[in-house]
Amino acid sequence: MSAETVSGTGLEVPSFALLIILLPMLAFPVILLLGRLFNGKDWWRGALKEGGLIALPVMAASLIASLAVIRRFIGETSASATSTVMHWVNFAWQDAATGEIQLFSMDFGFYVDHTTVMLLFVASFLCLLINIFSIGYMNTDPVNDNRNHRFYAEFVLFCSGMLGMVLSDSFLWLFIFWELMGLCSYLLIGFYYERPSAAYAAKKAFLTTRVGDVFLVIGLAMLWNLFQPHAVGGDALAYSVVFDGANLQAIADAGKSGALQLALGFMFIGAVGKSAQFPLHVWLPDAMEGPTPVSALIHAATMVNAGLYLVARMFPIFGAEAMHGAFTDLAFLIALVGGITACMAALIAFVQMDLKKVLAYSTMSQLAYIFTGLGAALWLANSLDWHHDDAAHTIVVVAFGAALFHLFNHAMAKGMLFMASGSVIHEMHHAHHDVHHHHDHDEHHDGHHEEDHFDAQSMANMGGLASKLPITATAMLVGSASIIGLPLIGGFWSKEGIIANTWRVALEDPRFFLPAILVLVTAGMTGFYMSRMWFMTFAGKPKTEVAAHVHEQTPWIPIPLLVLIPMSLSAIVFASLEATHYLGDTGSHLGEMGLLDGFLYEMEHAFANHDPFFLVLTYIAIGLSLVVGPMAAMALYGGQLADGEEAKPWLKPFVSLSARVNKRHRFDNTALAEGSLATALQERLYFDAWYDAACEKIVAGFSNLAAVFDRRVVDGAIKGIESGSQSTSRQVRSLTTGSARDYIMMAALGTLLIALVLWGVA
Amino acid sequence: MSEQSVPAFSSEFFGYFAAETVLLVGLVLLIVVPNLGKGTFRVPGTQARVPWFFGGERYAFTGRPDVPGYISVFVLLTAFMLLLNDLLNGWDGAATSALVHAHGDTSVRILAATPFSRLMETLFIGALLLVAVASLDRYRSTQPGAVRSVRELYNNRRQADLHILLLTCALGMSTVALAENLFVLFVGLELASFSSYVLVAFNKESKAGSEGGMKYFIVGSASSGVGLYGLSLLYLWAGTLQVDALALAWSNIGQEVLPYVALGLMLVGFGFKVSAAPFHFAAPDAYAGAASPFAGLLATASKAMGMVGLFRILLVVTLPDGTEGSAVWLMLLGILAAVTMTWGNIAALGSTNPKRMLAYSSVAHAGYMLAALTAVGVWNLGEEALSPAAQEASEAVLTALLFHLVVLVAFKMGAFLVLGVLENEGEIRDDRALAGLGRRSPLLAVTMFIFMLSLAGVPPLSGFLSKLLVIMGIVKVAAVDVGTSGASIGFLGMDLHWVWGLALLMVLNSAISVFYYLRIGVVMFFDAPAAGRDHPVPRAVFATVAITACLVGTLLFGIWGDPLIEVCRSAAAALLG
Repeated sequence: MSAETVSGTGLEVPSFALLIILLPMLAFPVILLLGRLFNGKDWWRGALKEGGLIALPVMAASLIASLAVIRRFIGETSASATSTVMHWVNFAWQDAATGEIQLFSMDFGFYVDHTTVMLLFVASFLCLLINIFSIGYMNTDPVNDNRNHRFYAEFVLFCSGMLGMVLSDSFLWLFIFWELMGLCSYLLIGFYYERPSAAYAAKKAFLTTRVGDVFLVIGLAMLWNLFQPHAVGGDALAYSVVFDGANLQAIADAGKSGALQLALGFMFIGAVGKSAQFPLHVWLPDAMEGPTPVSALIHAATMVNAGLYLVARMFPIFGAEAMHGAFTDLAFLIALVGGITACMAALIAFVQMDLKKVLAYSTMSQLAYIFTGLGAALWLANSLDWHHDDAAHTIVVVAFGAALFHLFNHAMAKGMLFMASGSVIHEMHHAHHDVHHHHDHDEHHDGHHEEDHFDAQSMANMGGLASKLPITATAMLVGSASIIGLPLIGGFWSKEGIIANTWRVALEDPRFFLPAILVLVTAGMTGFYMSRMWFMTFAGKPKTEVAAHVHEQTPWIPIPLLVLIPMSLSAIVFASLEATHYLGDTGSHLGEMGLLDGFLYEMEHAFANHDPFFLVLTYIAIGLSLVVGPMAAMALYGGQLADGEEAKPWLKPFVSLSARVNKRHRFDNTALAEGSLATALQERLYFDAWYDAACEKIVAGFSNLAAVFDRRVVDGAIKGIESGSQSTSRQVRSLTTGSARDYIMMAALGTLLIALVLWGVA
Repeated sequence: MSEQSVPAFSSEFFGYFAAETVLLVGLVLLIVVPNLGKGTFRVPGTQARVPWFFGGERYAFTGRPDVPGYISVFVLLTAFMLLLNDLLNGWDGAATSALVHAHGDTSVRILAATPFSRLMETLFIGALLLVAVASLDRYRSTQPGAVRSVRELYNNRRQADLHILLLTCALGMSTVALAENLFVLFVGLELASFSSYVLVAFNKESKAGSEGGMKYFIVGSASSGVGLYGLSLLYLWAGTLQVDALALAWSNIGQEVLPYVALGLMLVGFGFKVSAAPFHFAAPDAYAGAASPFAGLLATASKAMGMVGLFRILLVVTLPDGTEGSAVWLMLLGILAAVTMTWGNIAALGSTNPKRMLAYSSVAHAGYMLAALTAVGVWNLGEEALSPAAQEASEAVLTALLFHLVVLVAFKMGAFLVLGVLENEGEIRDDRALAGLGRRSPLLAVTMFIFMLSLAGVPPLSGFLSKLLVIMGIVKVAAVDVGTSGASIGFLGMDLHWVWGLALLMVLNSAISVFYYLRIGVVMFFDAPAAGRDHPVPRAVFATVAITACLVGTLLFGIWGDPLIEVCRSAAAALLG
C-alpha cells in the first residue's frame, strides 16, 4: 500500500493534511506542561487565558489546513482519494508456498471523499468556534480556577481524535481514534471530578460506550478475518481493501455475505453506543455534567457523529453489486433503532426542566433521524439495481445524501444551541452571583440560604430572557427552527428527505412502516419540545429574580453564535447547490445544476412533488412539526414579556404570537403532568433504573462470585506464582555469590560445556 | 560493491576515518590542555630558563575542572556529526569501503568503512556522547546546594582522566566496528574494555565501585584470555586472522576439531562482553558499583561491541552455507539464548536495587539478541540457503537486531541516566531511591516510566517495535524453514523449526519482565519518598539534556521507525555481503 490513488484521478491528499491531526495532538502535551508549570501566574491567566489562546491558533491552523484540503477536493468528482503518509511498520518475510518475499506494512493514510469533506469541515469548524466559546465560558468560572489548562489540553486531544478518525483510511485507524475520543470524553465529562454526579456520569459514559466498543472490536475482528486473504501484506481493514468490488465479489462467491452482515451488525452496535441510540443511550443526558463547551463538542462537533460516520462508511459495502439484497435485515435494524430512539427521546424531552437535558434528548432524537435515514438509504442501496439504472441511482444517492446533509445541519444547529444554552447558563450564574451579592448588602438572609441551591440550568428559573439576551435568543430561535424543520431553514431540507425516503422504503418493504410512522410522529413532537424550550426560556415573565437581572457580558460567547446563525439560515443555499446529491454521490459535484435551477428544483421537490403520495406526506410532516407541536407548546408555555421589556423586532412576533395562543387556548396540564406517563418520562422511562437494577442483580452478583473466585483461586495462584518466582529468583541470584573466584568457576564451567558440545558435534 | 583501498596514513585515510582522527586529536587535547601552565624548561648546561607553557603552575582558565568535559563533549559531538553525515549521505544503497593496506605487494584489509561499521560507530559514539554530556553535571564542582564532599573534590581533580578514558573507549569501539582482521578487532576490544574496567571503578572512594570494578576486571580478563586462546587456535589452523580469508577457509572445512574448539573459546570471550549466561556474573556487581552513566555504557555500547564481534565471527566467518554440519553453533547459540534470557529475567524479578535490576534486564536483552542471531543463522541453512530470497530474509532479521541495538541505547541509557541524576543525592542501594519520585519530580518520573515501558515492550514506544520486529523475524524463519533442516518440532499440528521455541520463550520472558519494570512505576508513583530524599531532585541541566535526547529517541523511533529501519537494512546488507 504505497502512496497511490484508488480512483485513478491522480488526486492525492496533500501531505500537510497531517497537520490537521498533528497540530492539536502536539498542542496537548504543550498546554498540559505549560499549564502545570505556570498555573496561577497572572500572565498565564490573562495573556494566554490559561491555555485557551494556545489552543485557539492551533485549532485555527487546523481549520485552515482542513479548508485547504477541502478546497482541493470539493470540486472534484473523483470517487475518493487515498494517500499513505506514514509507514509505521514495514517488514519483509518469505512466503513458504511461493518463495516470494512479502511485505507486511502497517500504514497510516488519508481517505478523502465527499463524506470526509463534509465531516472534516463540521469538525474543524465547530471545534474552532467551541474553542472561542470556551474562552468566554470557562475562564470566568471561579470553579475552574487553576485547571483550565487541563480542559484545553483534553479539548485539543479530543479534536485531534475526531479529525484523525474522519481522515484516516482504514477501519483500524478509525477505531484507534475512536478510542482516543472515548478516553477524552471520559476525562472531559468528569472534568468536575469532585462532584460525585460528574464522576458517575463520566464512568457511565465510558462504560456504556465501552459495551458498544466491545461489539465493534468483535465486528472489526470478523471483518479483518473476511478480508485478510485479499489484503496481502497489509492492513485488511483499509478502506481500499474493504470497499473493493472484487474483494466483495470474492466474499459473496465464497458464501460469506452472511458473516459480513454479522460483522457489520456488530460494528453497528458500536455506533449505537457512541451515538447514544436505544438501548445504549443512557449516558448521553448524564454527559451534561461536563462543562457546556464539552456538551457542544460531544453533541455537535465530534463524538456522536463518530457513530454516524461509522455507519455511513458502510455504504460502499451495502451498495456493492456483489452484495445485492444481502443486507436488508441489517438496514431495517438500523432504521428501526433510529425510529425507536427518535420517538422515545422526543417523549422524554417533553418533561425535562433542565435546559441542557432538553437539548441532550433532542440530540439523541435527531441522531436517530439520521440513523433512520441511513437505514433507508442502505436498504435502497442494497436492494435497487442502482449501478445501471439512472432513476434508481438518483433515489439511492439522494437518500444517502439526505441523511448526511441532516448530519451537517444538525451539527451546525446543535453546536449553536449548546453554545446558546451555555450563554444562558453562564449569564444566569453571573446574575445569580450579582443578586446574591446584592442581597447580602440588603441583609436578606432567608433568600441567601435558598439560593445556595439555585439551579442555573433549570428552565423553571428562567423566562422572559428574549429582551435580555438578544443574540442568544436569536441563535436559540434559529437553531430550534432548524431542528424542528421550519420550512426553508436548516434541517427542513434534510429531514423532509429522510422522512420521504423512509416512507419510500416502507412502500416496498412493509417492515419499514414502523420506523416510518415513528419518524413522522416525532416530527410533530420535535416541534413541541423545541418550542417549549424556547418559550419557557425566553418568553413570558421572568420566573425568578435572577432571571430578571441577566445580561450578556463577554464578547467571546456571542461571536460563535453570530457565525453560526447564518450557517443554519443559509441551508437553503446548500440545498440549492444540490448538497444532498453531492454528499450521496461521489460522482457528482457541488452545484451541478446551477444555483437558481437547483433552488427551483428543490422548491418544487419539497412543496409541489409530482407524486401525490409524497406531496401529502410532506404537508403532513410540515403540519405536524410546524403547527401542531409549536401550537401546543405556545398554549402551555407562551406569554408576553414583563412590562417595559422590549424584544428585538425579529423576536417580537414569536413572543406575541405565543402570548396570543396562550391566552386563547390556555389549558391546565396539571392532571397530565402528574399522570403516570409524565412520571415515567421524568424517570426517563426507567431505563436507568432498569440498568442499575440489572447491574446490581446480575453484574454485582456475578462480580461477588468472581471476587470469591478471584480471592481464592486467582489470587492464590498469583500469590503462589509470585512467591514461587521470588524464591526462584532468590535461588538464581544466590549463584551470584559476590566472589570473583566463583564467577570465574561458572564461566569455566560454561566454557567447558561449549567446548564439549562443539567437539561432540564436530 | 565498489571498494577503494587507501594506504595507511595517506591523506585519503584521514578523510575516510575523519571521526577517529578527531577522537585522536581530542585525546591529545585532553592531555595537553589541562596541563597548560607557567612551566619553564632549563636549557641544558645553562641557567637559562625558557617558558614552554607546560606543567608548573596551571593557568586558571584551562585548569578548570569542567574544561576536560567540554573538550570531550565537543570532540564526541564532532565525531558523531561526521559519522551521522556519512551514514545518512555517504551511501546510496551501495557499499563502499576504505581499506588500509600494509605489507609490500599483497594488500590486506585491516579497517573497512561500510554502512554496517558506520552504523555501529554512530551507535558507540552516540552512547558515549550521552555519557559525556551527563557527566558534565555529575562532576560539576559548583552544584547549587550540593555539599562539597571530599569525594566530589577528588572527582573534580580527576576530570581529565575520566574524559580520556571515555575517548579511548570511543577509539577502541570504533576500531572494533571497523576491523576486518580479528586481531585488530581484539586489540580494539581490549582498548575499550580496559577503559570500561577503570570507568566502573572510577569512584575509588566507593567500596562497591572498586569491588565491582575489580571483579569485572578479573572475570573480564579471564574471559579475554580464553577468547585470545581461541583466536590463537584459529590462527594455528588457518594461518591468518583476516576475516575474508577465514571465511574462505571455513567454507572448505573438513573433519577437524581445532576450528570448532577455537570458535567455542571465542564465544566465551564475546559472551562475556554481551553478558550472556553463564559469563554474566560480574555484570550485576559492576553495574551496581559503577556510576550510573557508566553502567549505562556497559549495558548499551559495550554490549553492542560484543555483538559486533559475534557478528564478525558467526555471520561472516562461520555463517552456515547449507552444507551438512556447518550449523554447528546454531543449537549452541540457541541454548545460550534461552538460558540467558530466562536467567536474566528470573534474577531481575527479585532484585530490589534498580541498578542490579537493570543489569539483569540487560542480561535478558542479551538473550533476545542471541535468539535473533540464531535465527539469522537458521535462514542460511538448508535447501533455500543460497536463493536471493533467503539472503533478503536473513537481512530482515539482522535488520531487526540492529534496530534493537540502536534503540536500546535510547531507553536503556535513558533509564541509567535518570538513576544518575538521583545518584547525585547519594548512592543507590535499593528502590527507596526512586520512591516518591512521582511527587518529587513528576517529569523525571514520567520519563523514567516511559523508559521502563519501552524496556517492557509497550506500544507505541521503540522498545515495542524492536521486540516486535525481532519476534516476527524469528517466527517467520521458524514457519518457513520447515523440513529443510530436519530440526522441526510439532506444535498444535504445525511443523515449525525449533527457533520458533525461542520466539515463544521470548514472548513469555517479556511477559515476566513486565512485572519488574512496572514495579518501578509503582514505587515511583505510589510510595512515599524515603527519608533524606524528600526534597526536590537536585538540578542537573546537562543530564536533563541527555535524558531528553533519550526520551525523544524512545518515542520517535517507536512511531517513526521507518527511516532508521532503512539505515539498519543497508547496514545488514553490507555485513552479509
